[in-house]
Amino acid sequence: MAEENITFTLPDLGEGLVEATVLEWQVAVGDVIGRNDPLVEVETTKSAVVIPSPQAGRVVELHAEEERVVPVGDPLVTFAVEVAEAPQAGIVGRVPTEEAAPRRRVRLKPPAE
Amino acid sequence: MTANLIGDVTMRYVDLPPQASDGSVPVLLLHGFGTSFDMNWRAAGWPRVLEAAGRRVIGPDLRGHGGSDKPTESGLYLPEHFVDDLLRLLDALDVEVVDVVGYSMGSRLAWSLALTAPARVRRMVLAGFGPTDALAGLGETAPGTGDTPFDHVFRTVAALPGNDPEALAACAHGQAADPFVPVPRPEGVPMLLVAGAEDTVAAGASDLAAACGAGFVEIPGRHHANAVSARAFKEAVVDFLG
Repeated sequence: MAEENITFTLPDLGEGLVEATVLEWQVAVGDVIGRNDPLVEVETTKSAVVIPSPQAGRVVELHAEEERVVPVGDPLVTFAVEVAEAPQAGIVGRVPTEEAAPRRRVRLKPPAE
Repeated sequence: MTANLIGDVTMRYVDLPPQASDGSVPVLLLHGFGTSFDMNWRAAGWPRVLEAAGRRVIGPDLRGHGGSDKPTESGLYLPEHFVDDLLRLLDALDVEVVDVVGYSMGSRLAWSLALTAPARVRRMVLAGFGPTDALAGLGETAPGTGDTPFDHVFRTVAALPGNDPEALAACAHGQAADPFVPVPRPEGVPMLLVAGAEDTVAAGASDLAAACGAGFVEIPGRHHANAVSARAFKEAVVDFLG
């Protein structure tokens, strides 16, 4: 499996809040964490919350030091996540028309070795 | 889920199973004044910590708060009403014994619960709470109009979406009508106090701990509103509850 870096920005915390202060990171660079694991504790003018990780991956960079104010939308953390090896499976046969677009997400069987 | 309780007050609560039960008693989380289970505990990351520790979590929205009914008569907010609600909730869930973790007003109610029904509380954590009566001097005045730590808390929470300032004022007056007294302490219930080092609402928490023979954990650098989510608080609670 190859790795790809994905950066997660400070999400909109609602109620018109435009920034938050990083109180305490719950992870460190190099940690391999699961989706929904505690990621970072931040404080807004309303409350302090723990933001869960939006995905599984290895933490490669924390973009904000503790006690720093981060605007909504600014980078918070970068993960390395595993992605399927290129090249991706090609389409065999006729390209489906838009009408025939699948309505559900399905898992494709990997080709036999 | 909801349960119908005293005075036709309907209480919303959550009942979250552990990831893998170790047979421990459930943990009852009691939120602070003007918040809710979701705001006080869920957003601060508590359910996950306790579920991972093998604990079932029972989290009510106390009357006047969150998704529970919000009467506006102060006479329906005496500590005994909250205690009745909690005992009825435990009965409805067929839960005999719990560990209780309270924050701020939730701690005061945890204390009252343990005094009323010591056999139903195994261990208890009082956080964001001290022996100083946060509501002292409230009398008939409207909460949130002065400059006490409680006035600041009131102004902050009264503005939160979903809160009913009239119900919260009634709740404050109901609580003030029956002030906290540190004696007698609940017998036979091991106790831990936790407070942010900068928490003015919890001033004197270490004295109360000493007077009760309870443990005390201070969270460095934290005040009343941001000690709840601190990892040090969670670790202290998981350690203490075992």
